[in-house]
Amino acid sequence: MSQEKGKRAPIHITLADIERAYKKVKEFQRLIERGKTPEQIFKDMLRLIEIDK
Amino acid sequence: MISNILQIILDVASHDKITTVIIGGLALPAYNVARTTLDIDVCIKIESQEQLNTFIEALKEKEINTKQQPKIDHDLFTVFGKNSEAEIWLKPCDAFQWDDQMVDKIQLFFGDVYVLAVEDYILTKLARSDRSSIDNDDVLKIIIANKDSLDWDYFHFRIKWADLENDFKEIVKAFELDFNNNIRNISRDILDKLK
Repeated sequence: MSQEKGKRAPIHITLADIERAYKKVKEFQRLIERGKTPEQIFKDMLRLIEIDK
Repeated sequence: MISNILQIILDVASHDKITTVIIGGLALPAYNVARTTLDIDVCIKIESQEQLNTFIEALKEKEINTKQQPKIDHDLFTVFGKNSEAEIWLKPCDAFQWDDQMVDKIQLFFGDVYVLAVEDYILTKLARSDRSSIDNDDVLKIIIANKDSLDWDYFHFRIKWADLENDFKEIVKAFELDFNNNIRNISRDILDKLK
C-alpha cells in the first residue's frame, strides 16, 4: 500500500446495525423483483442529486 | 444521457483515454445496494500532470470548471457545472493509489459507466481516513448482497495489503453477533467464507 493518513475511527457495529443492513439489502432485492434495474436505481439517485443541487 | 455533468466528465475522459470509474455512494447500485447520497464522485487514473491539465482544459471547454489548481499528487478536486458539481478523485481512496490489478478488475456497470471490482470498492470504504458509520453500513450491505460472487481470496489479499485486518475483524464480529442472536443462515455462510 502506497500511503496511509491519520488514524481512522474504530469500527463498532451493533446488532441493530447488522439487522438494518439485512433489511436494506432485502429492500433493494424487492425493487429488483418489481422490475427496477440497478441502472435505473443509479439514474434515480443521480436525478435526486441534481434536484438537490 | 445519465446526467449533464457526469456524462461530460465520462465523455472527456473517454476521449482522452483516461480510465474512469464511479466511486462513493453513487456506485452502490452496481453492487446491488442503494442509499441516498448527495455527491457525484468520479475517480480517474491520470498518468502525468500534462494529461491532467489537458483533461481539465477539455472540461473547461464544456463549461465544467474547477476553482482549484489540481496537481497529480492531490487526492481530489471539485468541478462545477451550471447546476451541479462533482468530485474528481485522482486515486480510488485517500489511503491508497491505483495499481495495475485494480485497473484490470474494473467492471462495466452499464453503457459507458464503470466501477471498481466489488472487493476494491469495499476497500475504499474501509481504508478511507474519514471512515464513518455510513461506510461501515455500506460494507455490511455489500458483503450480504454479494456473498456468493465476492472473490474472497482477492478480498483477503486486499485487506492484508491495506493493513485493515484488525478493522475487518470488527466487521466479522457483526456477522457473529447476528448469527448468535438470529441464527441467520446467511451470516453463517458469510462467516464460513471468511474463515
